[in-house]
Amino acid sequence: MPETGTEEEGLVIPRNLKVEENRGNMGNEGAGIIMQVENLSKTYSQGKISVHALRCACITVRKGELLAIMGPSGSGKSTLLALIGTLEKATEGRIILDGTDLTSVPEKLLPRVRREKIGFIFQHYNLIPTLSALENVELSMRFSRMPKKEREERAKALLEKLGLGDRLSHKPSELSGGEQQRVSIARALANKPAVILADEPTGEVDSKTRDSIVRTFKELSEKGQTILVVTHDPEVAKECSRVLRITDGVIKDY
Amino acid sequence: MFDLIIRNIMNRKVRSGLTVCGIALGIFAVIVMGAMSENFHQTFERSMSVTSDKIRVFAESGVFGGGLTDDKVSDVLRVAGVEDAYGLLMTTFDEDKMGMTGKQILGVPPEKSSVALNPVELKTGRFLNPGDSYNVVVGSNIQREYKLKIGSKFEIHDKYFTVVGILDYTGSIFDNAVIIPLETAQDLYNVGDSVSYIFAVPDERVDAEILSKRIEFSVKGTSTLSPGELEVQASQSFMIFSVITISSGLLAAIIGGLCVMNTMLMSVAERTREFGILKAIGAETRDILLLTLGEASVMGLFGGILGILAGTGAVYIMNAWLANTRIVLFLITPRLLIIAMLFALLIGALSGLYPAYRASKMSPMEALKHA
Repeated sequence: MPETGTEEEGLVIPRNLKVEENRGNMGNEGAGIIMQVENLSKTYSQGKISVHALRCACITVRKGELLAIMGPSGSGKSTLLALIGTLEKATEGRIILDGTDLTSVPEKLLPRVRREKIGFIFQHYNLIPTLSALENVELSMRFSRMPKKEREERAKALLEKLGLGDRLSHKPSELSGGEQQRVSIARALANKPAVILADEPTGEVDSKTRDSIVRTFKELSEKGQTILVVTHDPEVAKECSRVLRITDGVIKDY
Repeated sequence: MFDLIIRNIMNRKVRSGLTVCGIALGIFAVIVMGAMSENFHQTFERSMSVTSDKIRVFAESGVFGGGLTDDKVSDVLRVAGVEDAYGLLMTTFDEDKMGMTGKQILGVPPEKSSVALNPVELKTGRFLNPGDSYNVVVGSNIQREYKLKIGSKFEIHDKYFTVVGILDYTGSIFDNAVIIPLETAQDLYNVGDSVSYIFAVPDERVDAEILSKRIEFSVKGTSTLSPGELEVQASQSFMIFSVITISSGLLAAIIGGLCVMNTMLMSVAERTREFGILKAIGAETRDILLLTLGEASVMGLFGGILGILAGTGAVYIMNAWLANTRIVLFLITPRLLIIAMLFALLIGALSGLYPAYRASKMSPMEALKHA
């Protein structure tokens, strides 16, 4: 295998050699690590005013971890998720996900990273209103140029697994909040990502649906899916394998 | 991706429909104005092919200036290199309509009628013969309009003429020509021995352009128009006519294009969050470009098809309506249809470029924050 590029043919995301050094420093624990965030900072500047949304965050996440990120509004939780999700660029620091330094990936390759390594779940579900549940789940696989039959089968299997086998052709407006969020989970899982980033996934659902969503996360986590959940809800955090707290952009009790 | 494009268009039926109608109107104008230009072009081309081998000799003061008489024909004939020469008198048939119908009286020496009209052929009957005075050869449009046949009586300027020949359809000015003997025409219109212009036929071995200058130099009080000069002059007139007709059509089509741009900009603005979601789940810039440009192009395609159908229908109806007056104003050609369709697609795609660029350049995070 060449020193640059990943195992997948055609994927030209540079494999940063320092990743291996870092893994070496982790000793025996490094073996199960899926993501490492090093001195990650994000500063927003508006004229002469600078706002430090995140300061020198360092996080190590193991494969299969269900990690809760808690903190008051404006503390930097969503910024952290946006940086890991490559939706925003870090001011400083590095994010190494599944062997790839996300902060050094060229801009034009970021969609591929988002498609293949990251799954998003949003508070407001963010489903495309004009597409059915099945088509919403298919969407990211469509962007991966997966053949139609294959992506349809996978989307169908994911929705059935999440208890939505009888809602495949329903539009988001015809689904309940909980059902929409489960479609959103299926969409996030579609491309078998290294990590799922969930931003307040239970923020708009009742407690029964919340418990159902958390149960789904736990099952996925047990099967090896790494999930980062930003939440205000202690009930959700309680079910996670680990909790990070952020205040004023600083991760306090890592 | 095509299914998503169609679905996005269908989800905004009224707006998409109005946009498609905007383009269709533009393409309708392109078809109608273009058909007029194509008809003019065809008439011009065919008329040129009929008379392109002859040098036209005019009075220095122009066709309507007078001063060109039968004796000049002899002068022209004496110029070395001129094989044949004869004068023609041209005047409008329907003076009360100021010649708007395009019908023309052509006074031709009877013995020269077949060569003067060459290569126009007879559908039936014969050309004028020496000794004919009140006999007439008519173009195909005249024959249809007045339901003439060989032997019919045809009134010209209060005199009755006998139809002896009917010309084949040519698509040229000769379809509307009424050809009578030159002397009869001169008497009828009381112009003495004046002619409108002289046709000089160059000897095969002589360069028509050089001979044209030689005639002008040798025969005082004349100016000439060689076949080459005629073509240039007529091309310029055709060009001006085409620019006027086509540009008015294009203007309408550009307005249609602005409709598409407006619709697409609104659509992109409304779907900002949607584009953010698509980017978050891994859509490439080219996917977003394809979606938005595709929508604009498909609307252009639909608008083009609708515009072409409506334009062709309107041209057909107008031609049918004008058939009674023997005026053919429009001609739909495959070239015009292809140009109109390509133009519709181009307008759609170009109008979609800027909205597509805006959509593709959105920051996914900013787009997701959009309400």
